[in-house]
Amino acid sequence: MLRIHYSLESQLKDGIADIAAPEELSIQVRNLVLKTAKRKKVGFGSTIAEHPSQSGGAFHAAASGTVRDLDYHHLVIACGEGGDDAEPVNVASLQPGRELLRTLQELGIDIAVLSSRAETLVINGMNPEPGVSVAEQMLADEMENLEAGLDVACALIEPQRTILAVADASEYRLPGTTPQSIKAKYPNSLDALVVKAVTGEEFPSNAKIMSVMDLYALGRVVRTGLPVTETVMTIEGRNYRVPIGTPIRHLLSCLGIKAASGDTVVLGGSFRGEAVYSLDEGVRKGDYGMFVISSDAFPHVQDVSCINCGECVLNCPGRIQPNLISRYAEYEMFEMAEKHGLHSCFECGLCAFSCTMRRPLLQYIRFAKDQLRAAGRSEQA
Amino acid sequence: MTPPIIKAMSDIATRLTVSPAPHWRCGRTLHAMMRAHLAALLPALLAGVYMFGLPAAATVGVAGSVAVLTEVLCLRMQGRDVDVDNFTALYAGILFAFLLPATAPWWVAAAGAVVTIVLGRTVFGGFGCNPVCAPLVAWAFCRMSWPAAMDIDLNLAHFMSNDPVYQLQRFGVEALSQFDYVDLLLGRQLGGLGASQVAALLVGGGFLLITKWIRWYIPVSFVLGVSAVSTLFWFIDPGTYAPPLFHLLAGSTVFGALFLATDTASSPVGKLPQFLFGLIAGSLVVIIRVYGAFPDGVPFAIMLTNLLSPLLDRVRPKPFGGK
Ligand code: SF4
Ligand code: SF4
Repeated sequence: MLRIHYSLESQLKDGIADIAAPEELSIQVRNLVLKTAKRKKVGFGSTIAEHPSQSGGAFHAAASGTVRDLDYHHLVIACGEGGDDAEPVNVASLQPGRELLRTLQELGIDIAVLSSRAETLVINGMNPEPGVSVAEQMLADEMENLEAGLDVACALIEPQRTILAVADASEYRLPGTTPQSIKAKYPNSLDALVVKAVTGEEFPSNAKIMSVMDLYALGRVVRTGLPVTETVMTIEGRNYRVPIGTPIRHLLSCLGIKAASGDTVVLGGSFRGEAVYSLDEGVRKGDYGMFVISSDAFPHVQDVSCINCGECVLNCPGRIQPNLISRYAEYEMFEMAEKHGLHSCFECGLCAFSCTMRRPLLQYIRFAKDQLRAAGRSEQA
Repeated sequence: MTPPIIKAMSDIATRLTVSPAPHWRCGRTLHAMMRAHLAALLPALLAGVYMFGLPAAATVGVAGSVAVLTEVLCLRMQGRDVDVDNFTALYAGILFAFLLPATAPWWVAAAGAVVTIVLGRTVFGGFGCNPVCAPLVAWAFCRMSWPAAMDIDLNLAHFMSNDPVYQLQRFGVEALSQFDYVDLLLGRQLGGLGASQVAALLVGGGFLLITKWIRWYIPVSFVLGVSAVSTLFWFIDPGTYAPPLFHLLAGSTVFGALFLATDTASSPVGKLPQFLFGLIAGSLVVIIRVYGAFPDGVPFAIMLTNLLSPLLDRVRPKPFGGK
């Protein structure tokens, strides 16, 4: 039987490597407010779309070129001769406040966590999932950006204490924060569990959490004045700086990785990430890993009924009953799912990971949450 | 509004599998689970055949194969996929056979196997949906319908030894001096053909525990329940009530703890509920043996507690961050 380790430890051997520039960028624009059109020329760093929510960051071209293709789902930029590159913004000169927040948002930062105060600020320095080592890589190599990011975050959030959560064996520190070690085992790296470990409270209202990846992006924007156009991601144990929109096909060919028909290619982590349907799909903001999982590595998900073995319940860190909640979701009884603790689920994926019958438990849970969200929206409207 | 159509992106040479997260899985499957459970029954089966001779093997063979055939028929009639190759029906049939006297008439074994599948499982929606451990339903059915055919002492009268729990019920504690605990442990006692092979069951159950196919909560608390209540009685009057060790080794206590009470569908799902479940079932075993009409309290104790499962499942911790 295949044994998976949940360890979040990483052995970093090298620094962050660069990926050769791709010929095309493919950016998901579903549900975004477009700021460009087909056949238009875009420059490096120019805004191509805005987020519809009040706090979501804008999206920018990671290279200059021409918009070759555009539908409601994708925007494809053929790289090459393009429009004018974006001018750096002098972010450092702005005082904490409205204008700073708006500027950060325009430069691609999600400002939800920055726009109000909190007593405690937790910096999550744990690697998010097994097989992803981005967090520790940044603590090892990106201190300047992290410190710059922390300065801005502290100026906006004004916390009384700032804590860095790190894996128990690691030596990483961040000036201005108090270190706190946490056992390096998934799911301990999830935000909700890290906050609990640091504050002793579950979902406390006076604490906020940011990952070192958020901090890095913030610091980089502040120091360069340029928008977020890349993400750092772990691929087969090494970390790469990848322009947002880089097609997966390009990554595979650069790194000599093969993906055959039937395999699963995952953007993000192997517990919570998303399987893409095409190798032409581009890397998204906040994708910290890519995994190619061969078709015979794991038994497939199946649509069968639960046998009440209880493995999902015994493994759930949210202390809810995924077997019950998934059944409510299956039969569209979303309110009942909510009543039984749906919102205590932080989507770690452990329930479906350990299900004997291989039911798509996390899928059902996300479905229920989505449906409730949609219902909430239509009520407000 | 017509929903937008997402055109397949240019390349279809590599057709990827799109599946929901998590993309890693622990590798548990029903098939592997049942294979492990069947392997765990093997030591007790061999020990049973060694003790009772070939009739034991024949009884298990009849019950097992009839259970599988019945399952095939039931699935066909329901228009479902015939998936007996997952071994669940075979396993249920053998569990039932383990409770029988080795020389039970073949038709009792066959009828019980049919009842296991039809009444125990199919009417509730199939494997995994049964509120009561399926082989026990059949056991109770046969026990009521054909008491003589199911009677251990009667069937195995040609053996020199006696059924310990029966002796206790009929003749009281004094009769127990004929039994040696080592004999009981090694299965040299009369009882269900597999259910009385205590040492062999411990080997099989131990294997399931080590490989984590069953969790320790139910078996351990079951044994705790039996020990606690029997100690209590024994403390009150050692002249009337049997010592705890006797209750643990005689009858199908160990079989119940490791194989019947741990049935996935009919036991609760949480840690504390499972623990309480075992504790209650274990306590009931002794109470039934002391006050009840049936010598071996195990089957009824577990069936009764099965009915409490939904209630026990309500004993659960507050969800994360919940009020
Ligand atoms: S994903 Fe599953 S295991 Fe994880 S918190 Fe949610 S219900 Fe529990
Ligand atoms: S792990 Fe799967 S089969 Fe077992 S109780 Fe949970 S949902 Fe049901």
